[in-house]
Amino acid sequence: MSDTTRPPFVPAHSLPVPGSSQKHILAIDDELPILELLQEFLRAQGYRVSTANNAHVAMRIVESEAPDLIISDLQLEETDGLHLIEQLRVVLPKTPVILLTGVLFDAQVVDQNLKWKISSYVSKTAPLQSLVDEIRRHIGR
Amino acid sequence: MSTEPTTPSPAVAGDPTLRRVLAFFALILAVLVVVVVVSLVNLNRSVAASEWVNHTHALITELDALQPTLEAAEGELSRYLLTAELRDHGAYKDKFAELGEHVDVANALIGGSAAEKELFQPIAALLAKRAEVATRVMQLRKAGDAVALEQFLKEDAGTTDHGELARLIEKFRATQTDLLTARDRALFLQAQTTRWTVLTGLVLDFLLLCGAAWLIRDDLAARRLANRVLQESNAALEEKVRQRTAELSDANGRLLAQSLEDRWSKQAMEHQSRYNQLIIDSISDTVFVVTKLMNVSRLNPAAVHLTGFEPAEVIDKPLGRLLSVNGTTDPAKPTFDPLARALAEGRDLRDKGAYVVTKSGQSLPVRLNIYPLRDRDKVVGGVVILQPANPVST
Repeated sequence: MSDTTRPPFVPAHSLPVPGSSQKHILAIDDELPILELLQEFLRAQGYRVSTANNAHVAMRIVESEAPDLIISDLQLEETDGLHLIEQLRVVLPKTPVILLTGVLFDAQVVDQNLKWKISSYVSKTAPLQSLVDEIRRHIGR
Repeated sequence: MSTEPTTPSPAVAGDPTLRRVLAFFALILAVLVVVVVVSLVNLNRSVAASEWVNHTHALITELDALQPTLEAAEGELSRYLLTAELRDHGAYKDKFAELGEHVDVANALIGGSAAEKELFQPIAALLAKRAEVATRVMQLRKAGDAVALEQFLKEDAGTTDHGELARLIEKFRATQTDLLTARDRALFLQAQTTRWTVLTGLVLDFLLLCGAAWLIRDDLAARRLANRVLQESNAALEEKVRQRTAELSDANGRLLAQSLEDRWSKQAMEHQSRYNQLIIDSISDTVFVVTKLMNVSRLNPAAVHLTGFEPAEVIDKPLGRLLSVNGTTDPAKPTFDPLARALAEGRDLRDKGAYVVTKSGQSLPVRLNIYPLRDRDKVVGGVVILQPANPVST
């Protein structure tokens, strides 16, 4: 059942407003409901959130205003999340990247195989609070 | 004339302090009116008493002049008798005329007072008698009867008229002096009364003003206190509202976070389920996912294609309805036990011969593999994979 009290979600393909003192997070996922939830939750936590549902939009946002942290899904429509992360790393080599995916990974495997590409791995089945904890660990409040 | 009752204004009726203050000012006004009226009455009395005192002094002056004027007139008469000069005759007549004027003035001053008339009557009579004596003397003088004149004068010298006149005048004068004393006392008392009335009125008004001021001050203090209490109450209320708002905001934040967590959890579950289904659907072999009790929980499109059953027709139904191991499709029969036993024991069963019973009732030979699904150390179900095969040979 749809929630009629909430405004319709518009993915933040629009560019972020520069100059804010809030930390800027870029969330990338091809599922709009996921992006909507992430944006709502992270804004409630005091972050400024930009969202992208494809690699092209993500790159445009990164070039416009570098985010303080990137959250990316593994599976995107036209590319692989890890591949996109590699591309973003070229532009922003020091920006923390959290891989947020529903594809089950073994934490040990992630640590061994993906530590050069990503800063953290958070399962989509984990509570949102664990994602916030991870964000704070990297960039604070 | 209007007969409607007068009603106080709502502001006065609703404020007891204002009513009391107005009552105080009404009393002050009443006291002032009383003081003014009493003072005016006493002033009028004083004016009247002063006029009477002047009148009495004038009467006493006239009384005091009577005897000296009489003695002067009789002296001038004696002088005329001795000198027979016209000048002395005129002086004698002037003095008696002056005496008559004093009597007339005294009568006029006495006016209608019966008591004073009674006192003055003998004096006037005695003076009239003395005037007649003088007239008789002048008649005897004119007649040239010296013997008779001498005889008359000797007789007159023996009378006590002058002593009697002095006594009567003194009596009248004493009466007027007593009245003057009484009037003076009365005037003094009136002045004292006026003085005390004004003083008492001033003191009373001052006390009433003090009372009104005390009432106003008391009321202002009460209002200030009430205002302070109200402000404190408002501040406490605002603090409570602020605390309550903060609590509600926290609770709302928690609820919002919980709601987001719930929505996230649901989204994640749906995503996970869809992803799992995608995995199964992508396999070209026929796949059934079963529970520990061998009921179908998932199947892929290949299974739908092979059996002809839609997912809704087989999900939550025993797999034995679709699958025949050892040539039977009855799940109650022990011939189906190898699969259930393999799951119960948590081991794989591979390349087992079986038949699929399609929706149209056709039996198709397949090769069967079953793999237990483990959640940590516990078997929670299994995955059955079918591959086409030749008819089973047992």
